[in-house]
Amino acid sequence: MNITRRNIALGGAGAVAAATGLARPALAQNEAIRIGWLAAMTGPSSAPAIGFNRGVVFAAEAINAEGGVRGRRIEIVTRDTQGDPTKAVNATQEMISQARVHAIWGPTNSGESLAVTAIMARAGMPNIHPCVVDSLIDVRRYPNAFRMAPSNTQWDDAVRGYCLDRVNARKVAVIGDTTGYGVAATNASAQGFQRAGAEVVYKANIDATQPDMTPDMLRARNAGAQAIVVWSVSTGMIARMLNTRASMGWDVPFVGHPSLSSGEVGTLIERPANWEKVYAVGYRSCSRDASDALPPRTTELLGRLRGKVDLRDTLLWWVANGIDAVDLVAKAVEATGSSDKAAIIRHWNTLTKYPGYFGEYTFSATEHNGYPTEDVVMSAANSARDGAFALAPGY
Amino acid sequence: MLASILASGLAVGAIYALIGITYNTMFATSRVMSFTAGQLGMLGGVLGSLFTLKLGLPWPVALLLVLAGCGVIGVITEIVAVRPVLKSLDQHLYVLTTLAAALLIQQFTAIQWGTEPQPFPRLLGLGSGIWDEKYWLPVVVCAATIVGLEYLYRRTLVGRAFVAIAEDNFAARALGLPERDLRMASYALAGAIGGLAGFAGGQLLLAFFANGPLLNFYGFIPVALGGLGNNRGAVIGGIALGLFQQAANFLVGGIFSSVAVFTLFIIVLLAAPQGLFGSTASRRV
Repeated sequence: MNITRRNIALGGAGAVAAATGLARPALAQNEAIRIGWLAAMTGPSSAPAIGFNRGVVFAAEAINAEGGVRGRRIEIVTRDTQGDPTKAVNATQEMISQARVHAIWGPTNSGESLAVTAIMARAGMPNIHPCVVDSLIDVRRYPNAFRMAPSNTQWDDAVRGYCLDRVNARKVAVIGDTTGYGVAATNASAQGFQRAGAEVVYKANIDATQPDMTPDMLRARNAGAQAIVVWSVSTGMIARMLNTRASMGWDVPFVGHPSLSSGEVGTLIERPANWEKVYAVGYRSCSRDASDALPPRTTELLGRLRGKVDLRDTLLWWVANGIDAVDLVAKAVEATGSSDKAAIIRHWNTLTKYPGYFGEYTFSATEHNGYPTEDVVMSAANSARDGAFALAPGY
Repeated sequence: MLASILASGLAVGAIYALIGITYNTMFATSRVMSFTAGQLGMLGGVLGSLFTLKLGLPWPVALLLVLAGCGVIGVITEIVAVRPVLKSLDQHLYVLTTLAAALLIQQFTAIQWGTEPQPFPRLLGLGSGIWDEKYWLPVVVCAATIVGLEYLYRRTLVGRAFVAIAEDNFAARALGLPERDLRMASYALAGAIGGLAGFAGGQLLLAFFANGPLLNFYGFIPVALGGLGNNRGAVIGGIALGLFQQAANFLVGGIFSSVAVFTLFIIVLLAAPQGLFGSTASRRV
């Protein structure tokens, strides 16, 4: 037999393939379970990711301290996307092709998620995220993507239900900002109220930097609004509206987006009283009831977190959701005995009332919106304490 | 409703006018439209909040520090973004350099200060409702600035030197006027005026990094309406813009008010390209 370069190359390739194949079983048994974490840790909108990250790190350390999952350690592969969809795309591709993660948690804002969901779908990458935009979950196009937080529709349902059933407001003003999210959410909300038989007496999208909210608030009052429904993440705009409501001597309730309860709003209002009768989307698992108590499972979580995770400058649901995300991947590997991507997705599709800290998640092959709608509640916006809120009146 | 339109319209109009004057002051000695004007206004609010609420300084001290800080930013703008491109004004490279400087200021502020609006303190604690100081303070400050500038330009040697440079750069240099030093001084003055606009309007606009682009746009309109380099035109244009914008907010509301403002702006420029108070420039051929 002649020794040629081609034979040497083929022989070498065969040897490498054989060696890799032989090594694989041993490697898989000890290989860390790598969870990609697309986190906007810096830049605008970094507050949620910082909160989620505390939960992620806590959960990974807790699992590893108990010996890991079937002897395999959890390894969190974090990439700071800075809230930038382009950076999220690059980080996702790196996680898929170089870091070779077994599942991805995040991104945690919809703009980034819209950019990366299709990429993950092409790679068959198990993906869990808490983003609210409805179109991010589509089992036909993205069979790998699972939502473990409410969708925008669920938020909308909760806000509308509270206005109609508990505030007894039949005439509402729906106001959002001029961002893409603000316009879409305002339109969807107004349509929802109209379908439910309520009257949308005023609808507007306001530039979030508009210094004076008097025109819109006056129009809403003159139109006879019995509740103001707000869809905006702009704390400046929200605070201006609340200050204007106070200066008008109007006590109409504000109901809407979780940003209504942001601590930033508290710093921008002229008087603490301006933040009364403001109800923001919240979650039953992270809400205190009339006796000031949290649900038992959340109380147990707080016991685990005490001294290890600071909750004073973040929201409890962010931390709880981060813990649940890591646990969901770990439980999938534990149940299937494999970190194979298809196996993880198949396992998630069988979950019914999986007991997370943030909620009980249910997924199936045809429904990847896993958060229970009945657990989306309204909170008193000015009642934050250790990341949790008091339930709004009426529950 | 009319009272609200007048109160908030005059207030935001005065802020726009002050930013317009900032544009003009920089333009007068350099023939450059520096797009850092709005960022100086933003910095006035942010630094004012920083010095008063975070560092606990009395507001008069904070005001002096804001004026000094923004003056320094003005000088840095002249050195970094304007001076290198003065020799090729006809290529309009200053658009790129000053926009880049504006972006740097905005991003630096976002990183250091944060991206959420933060409170600005009540300064005098006077008034309530439509007579709240947040409405009349920018108007008073705008009026005082105009009076001060008129005094500077008409009664002082330095002011006359500014005017000389603005009127005829070559002749002024031939007479021995220190053109570069005067240009730096005018940028420092512009910085201080921009900072003053942000400080006076802080209660209305809050201390928010995103105010920069807003002030850049709406501060430019009075300049275009009033005629480039014409401070009185900028004041009238700014006040008119503020009142029209607030009236549009009341009458058509939301995003349509911005459409109304820019529609009027385009109509005015079509009718009078040199601005309502500008004069057609003659050129020797």
